[in-house]
Amino acid sequence: MTPSATLLTVLALLGSPAMLAAPDARELPEGPSRPDSDILLSPPSLANISRVPRTVEVKLTAAETKLSILPGKISDVFAYNGKLPGPTLEVREGDRVIVHFTNDLPVETTVHWHGMHLPYESDGSPFHPIPPGGKRVYTFTLRPGSAGTYWYHPHPDHKTGYQIAKGLYGAIIVRAPDDPLPATLTEKLLILSDNRFQPDGALDFPDPHSSEGLTDRENGRECAVILVNGRVMPTIDIRPGEVQRWRVINASAARIFRLAIPGQTFVQVGTDGGLFEKPVEMNEILISNSERVELLVRGSGKPGETTVLQTLPYDRYVPQTRPVDWNKPRDVLKLRYTTQPPAPPVVIPAMLRSIPAIDTTKATVRRNITLSAGLINGKTMDMSRVDVTAKLGATEIWEVENIVGMDHPFHLHGFQFQLLDRNGVPEKDRRWKDSINVPKHETARFVVRFDNHPGLWMLHCHILDHEDHGMMAILEVK
Amino acid sequence: MRWLSSSWRACGSSMVVVSFAACMGQTGGSAPATTTMASSQGQTEQVLRGRAIVVSNACGDCHGQGGNPAGPGWLAGWKSPQQDFPIGPFMTRPRNLTPDSATGITRYSDRQIFNALRFGLRPSATPDVEITSSVPGQGNHPAKPNYLAPTMPWVAWRHMSDADLRAIIAYLRHGLKPVSNKVEDSQAPPDFWASENTAEKIGPYPVAPHPTANEVAGQGDQAKVLRGRALVITKDCAGCHGGGPNPLAKGYLAGMTDSTGEFKIGPFKTRPRNLTPDNTTGIGRFSERQIFNALRFGLRPGETPDVEITSTTPGQGNFPAVPKYMAVPMPWPTWRHMPDEELWAIAAYLKNGVKPVSNKVADSEGPPDFWASEYTVAKIGTHPPAPFPTTNERAR
Repeated sequence: MTPSATLLTVLALLGSPAMLAAPDARELPEGPSRPDSDILLSPPSLANISRVPRTVEVKLTAAETKLSILPGKISDVFAYNGKLPGPTLEVREGDRVIVHFTNDLPVETTVHWHGMHLPYESDGSPFHPIPPGGKRVYTFTLRPGSAGTYWYHPHPDHKTGYQIAKGLYGAIIVRAPDDPLPATLTEKLLILSDNRFQPDGALDFPDPHSSEGLTDRENGRECAVILVNGRVMPTIDIRPGEVQRWRVINASAARIFRLAIPGQTFVQVGTDGGLFEKPVEMNEILISNSERVELLVRGSGKPGETTVLQTLPYDRYVPQTRPVDWNKPRDVLKLRYTTQPPAPPVVIPAMLRSIPAIDTTKATVRRNITLSAGLINGKTMDMSRVDVTAKLGATEIWEVENIVGMDHPFHLHGFQFQLLDRNGVPEKDRRWKDSINVPKHETARFVVRFDNHPGLWMLHCHILDHEDHGMMAILEVK
Repeated sequence: MRWLSSSWRACGSSMVVVSFAACMGQTGGSAPATTTMASSQGQTEQVLRGRAIVVSNACGDCHGQGGNPAGPGWLAGWKSPQQDFPIGPFMTRPRNLTPDSATGITRYSDRQIFNALRFGLRPSATPDVEITSSVPGQGNHPAKPNYLAPTMPWVAWRHMSDADLRAIIAYLRHGLKPVSNKVEDSQAPPDFWASENTAEKIGPYPVAPHPTANEVAGQGDQAKVLRGRALVITKDCAGCHGGGPNPLAKGYLAGMTDSTGEFKIGPFKTRPRNLTPDNTTGIGRFSERQIFNALRFGLRPGETPDVEITSTTPGQGNFPAVPKYMAVPMPWPTWRHMPDEELWAIAAYLKNGVKPVSNKVADSEGPPDFWASEYTVAKIGTHPPAPFPTTNERAR
């Protein structure tokens, strides 16, 4: 967890004696070019049907289908455009995005563009459900500086967890014209989730009144089978010495990933709202539900060797329902070093970009948001009640306090914020966030500016079972 | 109750575990202070008053059947070694409180029972005289007192009014059917617990006036705050939550400070919370309604919506479908039998009459059902309690 913000240490980590990028470093092949079902595949990108410049227009349909998740087994799932995860929405800063969404599910749904700064009507919140057979056009424009990794998923009232577990989630990648990281880095998208299956491959949702159902309600539906892009324990090939850029999304209902590769470090370069100002070297990375991270991973093994990306034990639970095997590390994917010759060194800039600080002296309101078991400020959500009202244009400081003995990942719709401190300890680096974990009995303070987009916005716990049982509140910006 | 003995067993190494499911309190200073039995109606009122006090003060948690007068063995005392309370090397055993002539309280005079509740003096080993001082060797107080075992929370009960103590006695003697149940004598150290009952350890009698250094005056409705204070003292809340029934004590109501305050309930460790109105570590952030809901329904205030609870059945009305109950041994199943106004008074005192103290208590452990299976009607009886008289009781 040592921050390493200088060019030199990053270079040292990357093992490069050179100060210059190798001129011949081109995009590396994605491992052996053979059909290998256990190789990590990225979801396809949504096709742009627009001919208008700087406009991305796509079609997205949610429908029931059958797919194989476990090898040799077929599962009844919900999927976007027949894929699990859904296809990736790839766009650039400044693009206008138009999504023609069709709900071919037998149930109502919405599409929430998680982390995006967009008009209230396009947020896909529970206020705008789309009935079975219904359609909706979501439109929004990507702001300069918003390049990063986001995701989309359903957000209907009380049913979000079920629909995401059934397979409805996909990535959004917003690219910057001036991305400071070398374009030669192989990029990987890792959408992390987990699921639970019956022996025949059917997705397993316990009776809510069974002890398993009650534990799910308490802990969130944390499941034994860990998936990366919908696959069990896939393999990523990496060339010795190669540096890959991983975009990681935690799309699981409840599992908090504490990622580590035994014996080596990561360089974290970004989070929810895009790149950091400076890269940070990390031994392990905690990704709570709905958070994203961007990592640089170096192929530091010998040709032909393998290692694993693991999730280490993390005690987010109340003692009453802590799983018996919570303290065991779990493998997430296999990292296989190719037999190609070592990749040439890569230079990572010590400064990635400048993030303008939200001026805390302009804050006109300080709010306390209390998280407890299933409650925000002592209440469960009521769609007809506004819990927090903010003035359009106002800067506010929010103190989010978790008063119970279970972690609650907190997500605010529509507005990226900047964390100021945790338990009074100031944050070292400025970052754009839309989701933060608030560990048991801890407090996080952030500053947020409601610069535009009046409307009703959700704030909630992103443990989906908690959210669905009402651990959500409504912010009105007006 | 089963858990009671297991928790006491866990605390056995600590000699001064005063209370926990302790029992007691006054129910209402408003009832008529009948001290004579001039009329049968007056006696019936006194018996009912005593019953309400006994039911809402957890006497039954040790002496049999918690707050459920309909339960088999109500107040009939120790039945098996399961109910031994070891205090250090000494086995102590809850007595038979029914009016059985051979094995219960019939052998003792009202005055002897009164002296037990007010002064902690064992009726079988104390002269039947009016005790005129609370200091051993002074007045009629024995120079070498033979005290009840420290599991018996007389140190809190003594702060009840004379009328309340007499009402308890009237209920035990006249409102209960005799049950023959011989309880083995409790063991005791050679000083018969005198060293546990020094003025320094148990605080002054009568209790120090409000406000002590641990308390605040002038906030909220003072009459209500003072009423809540009297209840908190006589219910011995601080017996577990810190300091004992003595608002002068260090750590009064501020929660567990070290592992000796911990309860072991089967495989689980449970810990008395900080009841002072500290915003971060205490109850400062909870509304009086949430505190009321904790005492009446056993619902953890931080994890229960701040609403009026309109049912006692999970999932019905406003009662949470998956209730988060407070850990055993918090005796809410008996506290809930207090009248509304008493519970509101306790909430008012905790919120307004106590100084906030920062003391972070680690979370309690517990089973995945958050103790729901310990709080079934079969185990804790009904609310309100079965009407008088049950099969264990008799009306004149």
